Amino acid sequence: MRCLLIASESAEVLFHWNDREYRQNIQQKYGVSQEGGEGLPAFEDILSTLFAPIIISCSTLEDSYTTFTTENNHVYVLHQFDECLYIAVNGDGGEKEDDLRRKIYVLKKMIEVMFGMVTLSGNLLRKELRPQDTEQRARLWKYLHSLLDTYSLLRENDQSFLVEAVERLIHPQLCELCIEFLERRLVQQLNSSVERAGEEVLHAFVLVHTKLLAFYSSRNASILTPSDLLALIVMAQDMYPSNIDLDDTSPEDVESTSGSGPESFYTPEPSPSSRGSSGSEKAGRGETPVFEFVDPEIQMAEDSLHTLEISPLDPSSPRRVFLEVSHKDGLYPMMPHSMYCLSLWPGITLVLLTKIPTSSVAMSVYKYLEDFDKLEKRLHEGHGGPPSARSPLNMQDIRTKMDKFIKALGTSELQSAHLQNVWVEFKTRAYTKGGPGFNKELIPWCKNMKTQLCGIYRQCFLSDSADLTQRLSAGLQERAQAMVREKLMDWKDFLLVKSKRNITMVSYLEDFPGLVHFICVDRSTGQMIAPSLSITERTTSELGKGPVANYIKNKVWALVRTTRRYLQKGYSTVTLRDGDFYFCYFLWFENETGYKLQPVDIPVLPDDSPPIGMLACDYYKRLLRYYSKNHKGETVKCYELLTVHLGVIPTEIILQHCRQLASKLWEPSRNLLL
Amino acid sequence: MAELKPPDSRRCTYFFLYDGSKVRGEGDPTRDGICYFYPEDTPLDMQDLLCGQLAGVSRCVSELSSSAVQTLRLRRCKFAIRMKEDFFWAFGCSMEVPTVSVCELLDHLISLFCFYNGSVRQSYQLSSKENLASEWARYLSHVLSGPSELHYIFQSVRTIDLSNVDPLLLLKAALILQACQRCPLVLAGCILFRGRVVSTQMPPELTIKVIVHESESYSKIQRSSGESPASSDGGSVSSAAVFLTPSELQDLKSAPVDKTSRFHPAAEKDAPPKKTRLSRTLSDAASCESEPPRPASCQSPQKGSISPHLSGSEDSAFSPAPSQRAADSPSPLSPCSNGTNASEAVEGDPEESHYHSFYSSGDVVSQTLSEGDGSAIEESVYLNGATSATFSADDSFGEEKMTAGLKAESRQPPPGSWAPDSLEDSPLVAMTLYTHRVNSLVLALLVEPGFMSDTASLEEVNHSSLASLNGLEAHLRAIPAAAPGAAGPYLFAHHDSVQHTLTTNVSGRPGGAPEHPFVRATSLLHSHFFDTETLQEAIIRNAGTAVYGTRSVAQETFFQQHGGSMRNSGIPNQQDSAFSLPSKARHRLLKHGVNLL
Repeated sequence: MRCLLIASESAEVLFHWNDREYRQNIQQKYGVSQEGGEGLPAFEDILSTLFAPIIISCSTLEDSYTTFTTENNHVYVLHQFDECLYIAVNGDGGEKEDDLRRKIYVLKKMIEVMFGMVTLSGNLLRKELRPQDTEQRARLWKYLHSLLDTYSLLRENDQSFLVEAVERLIHPQLCELCIEFLERRLVQQLNSSVERAGEEVLHAFVLVHTKLLAFYSSRNASILTPSDLLALIVMAQDMYPSNIDLDDTSPEDVESTSGSGPESFYTPEPSPSSRGSSGSEKAGRGETPVFEFVDPEIQMAEDSLHTLEISPLDPSSPRRVFLEVSHKDGLYPMMPHSMYCLSLWPGITLVLLTKIPTSSVAMSVYKYLEDFDKLEKRLHEGHGGPPSARSPLNMQDIRTKMDKFIKALGTSELQSAHLQNVWVEFKTRAYTKGGPGFNKELIPWCKNMKTQLCGIYRQCFLSDSADLTQRLSAGLQERAQAMVREKLMDWKDFLLVKSKRNITMVSYLEDFPGLVHFICVDRSTGQMIAPSLSITERTTSELGKGPVANYIKNKVWALVRTTRRYLQKGYSTVTLRDGDFYFCYFLWFENETGYKLQPVDIPVLPDDSPPIGMLACDYYKRLLRYYSKNHKGETVKCYELLTVHLGVIPTEIILQHCRQLASKLWEPSRNLLL
Repeated sequence: MAELKPPDSRRCTYFFLYDGSKVRGEGDPTRDGICYFYPEDTPLDMQDLLCGQLAGVSRCVSELSSSAVQTLRLRRCKFAIRMKEDFFWAFGCSMEVPTVSVCELLDHLISLFCFYNGSVRQSYQLSSKENLASEWARYLSHVLSGPSELHYIFQSVRTIDLSNVDPLLLLKAALILQACQRCPLVLAGCILFRGRVVSTQMPPELTIKVIVHESESYSKIQRSSGESPASSDGGSVSSAAVFLTPSELQDLKSAPVDKTSRFHPAAEKDAPPKKTRLSRTLSDAASCESEPPRPASCQSPQKGSISPHLSGSEDSAFSPAPSQRAADSPSPLSPCSNGTNASEAVEGDPEESHYHSFYSSGDVVSQTLSEGDGSAIEESVYLNGATSATFSADDSFGEEKMTAGLKAESRQPPPGSWAPDSLEDSPLVAMTLYTHRVNSLVLALLVEPGFMSDTASLEEVNHSSLASLNGLEAHLRAIPAAAPGAAGPYLFAHHDSVQHTLTTNVSGRPGGAPEHPFVRATSLLHSHFFDTETLQEAIIRNAGTAVYGTRSVAQETFFQQHGGSMRNSGIPNQQDSAFSLPSKARHRLLKHGVNLL
């Protein structure tokens, strides 16, 4: 009984995802209310009809709805992002309110990674999410469903997605070896090849299931944020699902999960030669050959803004992803990259992230968007007169730059006529002497400019033609794949096993009697360490499959939810005696040399604030920024420790354990971080 | 950062009752359906908007989920929602009040209305919207009148501050109630002083409803005549119609009161009065009770320690009575014949009859006391010293009720004990609330509707209680009002979830800002305890405060220590003062009668 939908303000369903029970439930409801109808209309139309009162009421009320609960424990969570209303429903008790809110934010994050700045224009996003072409729509929605399924599976089974931090394989020598290889051999060779078609490899990393074996960023690349990295891991997992990896799933479980949602375990043909007849054809996903025959020309003719292929789907063609880039003059969110996901062996994947040659356009577009956004805000606030006098917003400066930008666009292949027209209109209104000038009447034109800019961005980075011209050649990709395969050949089996028992509780039992489980997270780097939950050194059956392991797993999951709740309300230390267990949670700050810093009062957040974590919305980044205000010039690090002890252990001993763990855990790994 | 709001913003932001049946057609204006809206000075358009939208959306969600909406949250306000037939209630609070508590408040409000007015639909058929609006306003103001923010989190029965009341007075109050209960038309009663409970035979849910009536008439009297002495002929007697749910009625009636053995005239005079020993006995019994200063809720924490002692010493004296009663065949005696004798028995001194019960257990006079178990659970709860004869039976009964209540709570958000039965389909049963006022003291009895026309019963009750009430009143009045205690180096709150009593040193005085972090933490912990059945204790801390919370089946306790530099980096550290809170709480709270074992 789960459902997630995105609706526009006019109650149009832009995207929906439901499980079978929910679908049946809704159809039944609709069938009852519309007796004697000849056949049910499309499911999304039913949804739209049934949800319409809620959606419309949301825009009527000033203080919008965030949650409903019903007597039979159905939970509804609503969140409005600009013009899109997200509604998540759970009727089976499997997800709590915060899970639903997190899911909403994760979906939004995924959409941002997929569509970049197009998400800033409600109008364009609507068309992007709900293509008029039904086949295209089906394909896009199917991809989003599959991403959501993958994410849900990971969140429910993988500790790194539980706490939203990346887990590394703990094997210093091998990691170092591998990083060196990526740097000296792979990336260097790729970037010096002529077949790279103007693309430049910025980041390369090897994943063993969801765990990171090695990560290399080239020198001129900006840092890949944990949030983006986690999102990319979800995408890679979605492409090459590793159902054996799931920490706590026994073989039977795997069968049953994959049985319930076979589409989410689709594995594409590994052979790059399946690219088919022509590189210019948009290849459908292997399983949906029907869509291969959509003629791009016809779509282009329909509407210049009509949705085109969201991402090329043959294995050798990259996915377009939009990631945050920190430049010397500031942060640029949603900058276009290409992501190449190359499967080395089942479970082991090489991911390459490249910068595409035209990405500077994205930066300009972002800057202008920001300017017009600021201007619009100021006009809303009712500041009359030319804003240039009052703020860093220098309209004259913008005018010259914008003129240049449009001129440059004119020489490219992009269709910038609309933008030009709107800009001309804007100029006559804003800059002409005796014209209306800068007042509220200009607001619609600001909006219009933003839409047009997003349109340019969309043409540049999301349209079909953008992908065709730029990509690492298939041969080059094959070579890269082969190189890394060769390098890791001897380690392959070891890695697959290691990823399942990265570190085990057994090695801690002697030093920490009574300790059942722990998770330690370095929030400044977004990395975590935790013993694998399912397998112990002694036996795989006792704790691995038994109800005890499952019980502990559920407790750990509940503990993380609880501590987040307290953290949201400003409590950074929590200890709980729950049943036969004693749980501890600590969050603290250190400087670079490991000196423990004084705590401060952590901001108290409202209930509907973004979920605490790193994937969808990086809470810890904001926390660190907040904390650093009083520690200027010092690098502040933030750590979290969760422990589960047997309840019979005296509290003093438990606290002693926590302290020892805290000081000990990061020591070995500190040398081999990113 | 820590948001500091004035306490008022925490109180109810909105409360309304909307009758969907009045707005059926397209053209019907929304305001026709608005039965009551608080705050009353809300612009009509705003009322229309809120009622219309919230009711409409809730209906839509209910249809989607085939189940009534229970809570609805906006970004800045949370609502408890109740939907029944065409009625739609919404009670909106600030976000800081736990959701559980908001639901409880609304349920309480509805049940109050039904208690005094009967079923909602019927009330609106019989009475005008305006009249009933003033009723809602009345109950709402009562619900919102809690002295501190904690009273929104824990709905509780307000008891007199008994830290300096002689336990003998409590006993006396209990005996008055027992005496009244000998009249078969009397179901149960309670004694209130200045709007607070002195002693009660009713379940807390009922007591709290009765108090509303009383605290209002009390404040009315205060307003009109100040502390004017009541007429010497026994104060003012009044009555009001009330409505009990079938389950409430059954609870009252199923209590093992043996109406048949209420009175045996012959035995009465045989009882030899031995006052010298009486006082000793009572003080003996009281000595165990005198230590805990919270008689109102003395049941839970102290029960364990007191009851064995008492039952050990007195069981033998009492054992014949229950068994005898059980063996008794029903031989109904007319209330009238009881009446005179009963009044005689008590008229002299209720303590006397109590004395008889100790020393002439075979004697029928002892029934005077053992009848007390008509109040079943409540009796044992309040006066475990005096009525331990029924303790063993009551105890298990109470236990059962507790666990049942707990299960109900954990199963679904609206805690069973507070769920208004009035929303169920079962019809309400009309009863009468009889009140007898002596200055600030009130005897309130739930009686069968026939009671007020039955002069004999009336007289019996009046006679049996009048003198004692006067005496009790004089004693209670003589007690100096306790000075508001200085807030000490710590804050605590102790909630007895069976008795619905709250003990705390949080004052709720204006300018109580230093208490706010404690209230906030308590609110969070309370929600957490409610959600997680297995959670026993928790310590949460931020840079400035650390709060410890612990709970058992029947109680929740929260504790915060002031001062003591909280120098700590947040890293795990045994020296952290936060982790010494459990032992400090155990130690400190003992003197408040809270035993954390």
